[in-house]
Amino acid sequence: MREQSGDNGKVLAWDFPTRAFKWTLAALVVSAWASNKFGGGTPNWHKWTGYAILVLIVFRLLWGFVGGSTARFVNFVRGPGAALSYGLALLQGRTPKYLGHNPLGGAMVMAILAALAAQGALGLYAGDADRLIIDGPLARTVSDEAVTFAARWHHRVFDLLKILIVLHVAANLYYAFVKREPLIKGMATGYKPSDTYVDAPAARAGSPMAAAACLIAAIVIVFGGILALGGRIAI
Amino acid sequence: MMKKWLLAGAMVVAASGVFAAGDPIAERKEILKGFGDLTKPNGAALKGEAAFDLAKAQAALKAYSAGSKKLVTLFPDNSKTGGKTEALPSIWQNKAKFDGIYAKLDKDATDALAAIKDEASFKANFGKVLGNCKACHDDFREKK
Repeated sequence: MREQSGDNGKVLAWDFPTRAFKWTLAALVVSAWASNKFGGGTPNWHKWTGYAILVLIVFRLLWGFVGGSTARFVNFVRGPGAALSYGLALLQGRTPKYLGHNPLGGAMVMAILAALAAQGALGLYAGDADRLIIDGPLARTVSDEAVTFAARWHHRVFDLLKILIVLHVAANLYYAFVKREPLIKGMATGYKPSDTYVDAPAARAGSPMAAAACLIAAIVIVFGGILALGGRIAI
Repeated sequence: MMKKWLLAGAMVVAASGVFAAGDPIAERKEILKGFGDLTKPNGAALKGEAAFDLAKAQAALKAYSAGSKKLVTLFPDNSKTGGKTEALPSIWQNKAKFDGIYAKLDKDATDALAAIKDEASFKANFGKVLGNCKACHDDFREKK
């Protein structure tokens, strides 16, 4: 569908479901941090943020197969070699332009998704030392040692996430202000200036019906999974 | 049987009282352990896993207020180590902040005691009190 190159010299880069996913996830990650920092008295704030993040991660995994062209894993997940050579080209300031994720950015997307999936899964089993202040819905199904282990790694993966997020934000600011490529604007509006992109001239949007189906499936998988594993979900 | 248990209980309390006297680490651990035991049924009620019991909520809140007044005196400079304490050195580096959490726990528990009349007011007010537990444990208690 190259016809989506508009008259005004702009082309579709990211369809609406992909953008809505991205910014909602970013807001939820902030909420996850804030609910831990300021929500000691309201554990459900942190827990429901975690459930929502898990739903979005599962949504994104499904969307990576049936979504818009730039959201599909097959179109942006590349091996470490491709990421490395792109990284070297970046250091020399001679990078080819990508409409979707470049090889290095694609690796970062997968790293953040994997870390958030691990963080959400650990949170389901984590709890405070006495299981009095907060515990995940599945903490009741495992031993105290397992809860302590999950809590420790819930803290460690958060440290890893902070590093990934700083790198991710720094890279995007670098593209926006040094390389003058409007990546952030593209992810906000969905459109990028038409150019000689090496991956595709324009994106093909995913179907809104498919997006809704992925979201419903993700909700069923996450909450159904928690309940099937013996968890209880308090509202 | 009941009498026997009460007697045994009284002896344990008396013995630990004697043991704890003049030992701030043992004394604070005992109070905090008591907090935990009294919190347990209330934590379960908050999660909907046990029935709400006003008497249990009030017992915990009274214990938090009374206990926090004692606890601020139980972290003297010579009690930084020993007795398997989980107290972090950061307590003595931020003593004002640390003491402030106990003052807030006392106040929040007193306020909650006045506010909690039924299950709805319990669910609305008890969590805020427990937020002080987390605030203190995050910064001042050793992580496992």
